Amino acid sequence: MGGQLLLPDELLVMLNEKWSCREQQLRQLHALVSYNKIDTVQPKLRALAASPSTLVAYGPCATGKSRVVEAYLESHVTNRECITGRHLLERTVAAVTASLWNDKPGADQDNAYNVRCENIAALVAHLQQLLKSHDKFVLVFDGVDKQRESPPTLLPALARLGEYVPGLTTILIVQHPPPRFLHQTGVPYIHFPAYTRAQSVHILSQLPPDIFLDLPTDGTDYDAEVHAEDKAWLWPRYCAAIWDSLAQNAARDLVSFRAICIKLWRPFVAPILAGDFGTRDISRLLVAQRRLFQDETVLPDSIIASPTLAPPASQGQDKQSTPSSIHELPYYAKYLLLAAYLASFNLAKTDALYFMKSTERKRRKKGGVTARSGGRASQKRQVPRHLLGAAAFTLDRVLSILHAILPHDLRGTVDVYTLVATLTSLKLLVRGGGLGAGDALEAGGKWRVGTAVSWEYVQGLAGSVNFSLQYHVAE
Amino acid sequence: MEYEKVYVFQPESERPAKRRRVEPQGLQTSWRRRRQVFDRVWSGQQQAIDARLDGINASTVNKVWHFLERAVLDEQPGRIPTGIILTGADGATGPGIAKQVAERIRVGKHRRILLSLSSSSGTNLKALLKTLIVKATSRRTGSSDDEELDDEDDELRNPRSTGPKLLNYDLQLLQDHVREHRTEQVIITFEDTEAFDGDLLSEIIELLGCWQDRIPFACLFNIATSIDFLQQRLSKAAVKALAGQVFDVALSSVEVEQVCEAMFDTDTPLWLGSALMSTMLERQHDYVVSVDSFAAAMKYACMSHFYANALSVFLGLEAECHDIAADHVVAVRQLGSFKTYARRLLDDHQVAVLKEHLESDTALRLLVRDKVAKGRQKLSAMVQTLKVIRLVQQRLPHTPVSSMSSLYVQAMSGKLIGSPLIRALLLTIRKAPSNIVVTLLRDLMAFHTEKHTPTIPDCQLLLTRFEDLIESQKHSTKPLRSEDDSQNTTLRTTVVAQKVELSKQKSALSEQDKKYTELLGILTSGIEDIFASNLVNPTDLIFHEIFVYDLKSPYREVFTPRPRHAIERALATPHDYLDCDCCGSGQGDEHVEATLAATQPATAVLYQLYLESGSLINASDLWQAFQAVLGDGGEEAETMTLFQRALAELRYLGMMKSTRKRVDHVAKVMWQGL
Repeated sequence: MGGQLLLPDELLVMLNEKWSCREQQLRQLHALVSYNKIDTVQPKLRALAASPSTLVAYGPCATGKSRVVEAYLESHVTNRECITGRHLLERTVAAVTASLWNDKPGADQDNAYNVRCENIAALVAHLQQLLKSHDKFVLVFDGVDKQRESPPTLLPALARLGEYVPGLTTILIVQHPPPRFLHQTGVPYIHFPAYTRAQSVHILSQLPPDIFLDLPTDGTDYDAEVHAEDKAWLWPRYCAAIWDSLAQNAARDLVSFRAICIKLWRPFVAPILAGDFGTRDISRLLVAQRRLFQDETVLPDSIIASPTLAPPASQGQDKQSTPSSIHELPYYAKYLLLAAYLASFNLAKTDALYFMKSTERKRRKKGGVTARSGGRASQKRQVPRHLLGAAAFTLDRVLSILHAILPHDLRGTVDVYTLVATLTSLKLLVRGGGLGAGDALEAGGKWRVGTAVSWEYVQGLAGSVNFSLQYHVAE
Repeated sequence: MEYEKVYVFQPESERPAKRRRVEPQGLQTSWRRRRQVFDRVWSGQQQAIDARLDGINASTVNKVWHFLERAVLDEQPGRIPTGIILTGADGATGPGIAKQVAERIRVGKHRRILLSLSSSSGTNLKALLKTLIVKATSRRTGSSDDEELDDEDDELRNPRSTGPKLLNYDLQLLQDHVREHRTEQVIITFEDTEAFDGDLLSEIIELLGCWQDRIPFACLFNIATSIDFLQQRLSKAAVKALAGQVFDVALSSVEVEQVCEAMFDTDTPLWLGSALMSTMLERQHDYVVSVDSFAAAMKYACMSHFYANALSVFLGLEAECHDIAADHVVAVRQLGSFKTYARRLLDDHQVAVLKEHLESDTALRLLVRDKVAKGRQKLSAMVQTLKVIRLVQQRLPHTPVSSMSSLYVQAMSGKLIGSPLIRALLLTIRKAPSNIVVTLLRDLMAFHTEKHTPTIPDCQLLLTRFEDLIESQKHSTKPLRSEDDSQNTTLRTTVVAQKVELSKQKSALSEQDKKYTELLGILTSGIEDIFASNLVNPTDLIFHEIFVYDLKSPYREVFTPRPRHAIERALATPHDYLDCDCCGSGQGDEHVEATLAATQPATAVLYQLYLESGSLINASDLWQAFQAVLGDGGEEAETMTLFQRALAELRYLGMMKSTRKRVDHVAKVMWQGL
């Protein structure tokens, strides 16, 4: 998290090569933070005031903020791993201590700087203590705007650290800084803009993946050198095609762009492996494989590697290889969910209309709508209820509906109540609405159906128990 | 004593001996023996059930194990290898296959830590991480020596001798622990994934993903619903951090089936009757109930029989039968099945035999011993026959295979033998072509030698005759067809005098086919004989009360109580429970619950008034009605006390609550009869 500055100027050139397209940012960083070619042996000439006490690097995700800063300073940075604000402070002290040790390899680690750091004031004191003998020290907080449980004073306080600790420069890395979020003026900002099309493709083309996983060994003159040439030729063109078709709208940041390119690469080159096209036959290949560039199902991430990533030839079989045994909910669980869905999406005042046994056959499906339909349209725009969120209902209402929709009598045993609890733990029913939502024993507590219980899902349930859902749902 | 603050209490003597000892009398004397029998019987069954249940998911456990092994060897940077175990709603609550995986880990060659997190482990990230770290650092599974463990215990107490102290939710602790012990994998099982808060789960997964480069994590998720549902609830970054593979465990219905078969396979002395069994199976099918509960229900049935039915003592070892107390033998004479047996003896004019059984206890003991043993044999033969039915169903094309449990329920009710299922089965055999029949016959014989299922007499001979017949028909590769096969008859339509006539026409059958049909007739009647002789009605067996248990009510009372109904009923008819004289049975017995009387408990009176009112109740009206019921006898303050207490009790029971809509009203929360 911290690092002392030891920056030969040639490093800049090297970094520029490694982190292409970030030249401007590197130069800015260099101007703001480095020693400016001052020889450390001559202490009189040190112009340390050249570095500002606080610096903000900002830009959207996957634009190389952390990596560039890290590479420039050779220090490691993470804020995501800190659970609380206190945790952040503790780790800051630990990182500073560790960084100081690294500079003094012979130092005895036993007399470690072993203290607690409860609040920001303590952090200032510790840093003053630790950095007494150091002229310059850079502290980097990465993703500090995403800090969990951070006190509201944290950011402004961190920005002012440099005022209390001489020689300390704080770099804050954030994604989208709100204006005046540090309550301080005159803080230099370095903007890391998103990569453009050309930049993205250029970065990706540094490391082209293989076309042939194992080179043909049957005596042809296609050796590794030709292969490297081919893939360096084909890969950037392929990446550009992916950018134009999919990524420019849906995966603009570098990481997801790269992920999609790698995901689709094997299916894309499959015809080359099969021998249908040559390696330089890009235009015909693109036309032949245009289906890949139209299929948007690859865009969302998935826990399970999705079957479409397999070579396209086996796609037909994949659909059949879904698990043959499906865990179904038990009979009453299905009915209870149906009842809960109806309770959530029907108005309570229409219950008598939809669930009284006497009106079962004579029900007018259109309800009051027919009376009004002759005139002009209603003033209030009616949104269909199944497009709205689920409404809360009391337990007794759903149990009454359950009794009403079951084709036979139900013996109200403890199993029914257990079922409610089980479905709640499965988040198919959720507690919510009304007073005492947290307490399951509260009289008149309310439930709602979970987000997973959609109209389609309920239709599936109704189909499996032969329940005519559409007669009971209010339109 | 007064100036002493503390003194040691020293009792002067031993406790006084209990004055009265309850000695079991009469039929209770055999209780100890019955319990021994139960212990022996049930321990055998429990073992069989456990073995079956462990075996059922063996392949899944294997797959999970291989997945974890592979995850150790080739790591994917930045993504946590994740096993997603689809358990279904029934299995999500139990420890699932994680327990079996843990067993494997204990003997595995890699050093691993396995820990499980449930939704109750913590409600926020900090608490969850604390639990995680405590669990991971305190217990270790993996290959190690005991001595090594002792040394490491000391270190654990002071986990970080060097460096700054860490907060107890800092994963750095775990990293240090992992590095010190050279652990190769930290497996985290999320037991009830759905019950976790979605944000919390996402956060912890993201965090684990951050540490993946330093701590080799692997996750196992138990999922009751679906993967899509899980993905919906996780954040995008969390989904990215997981590299998953799906595993499926056996359906709960399959598990129930296995438990049933385990019970049939062991040489059980006690058989469960059809009514009880079907109730148990129905509950298992209709509600979310784990398979353990099914086994528990079986155990409970077994216990009820041995503990409550004195005659179950006859199910003990045969050698012990002779010294069963005389009052048990007297009780045997009261059994319904013994009375029918006696009646049959009288009808057969075997008065002497009957007289001996009525007079001599020894003779009756012997009779019970023999008949119980025979009855048990009959029942096991019946279960074997059920297996034959299933075998036949499996071999015949287009025939659904019935589950063992449903066949058992039908057979125990004595209705299987004339059932449409058996008739349809026999008809299908009659129509089957030769290739199927021959395999069926071979399998029947193999089954007979392997598992001692009943078989038809001269099976071998019949098989050779079939084979000879097929041999003789060399010129055609087509299998022989039966005469009864509907494929061989064609419908012929003729128009006679403007009327359509349908006539069936048998297509020409070869000589071999006719012979084949003949042989099929022998086979079918043989199988029919097996069914007829083995599928007995258990209630026809003498002394079936001893070895068949078929009481539904204890099971229902214990496993499916009705708490709400009980409270409602008690409030509606307090007299049934109090049995007091005041509001006695003098009034009409039918409509006791409708009456309101001042002598009833105040809460019951108020409950009646509560039932009569609408969803919002005016408290003042309620009070006036209450006062009117209780009469003018008491003082108003006293009545008010009763009223307030009754109101508080109803509120405590969750029947009403105050409402913000109207200050002077209470809201009705519960409706009757749900």
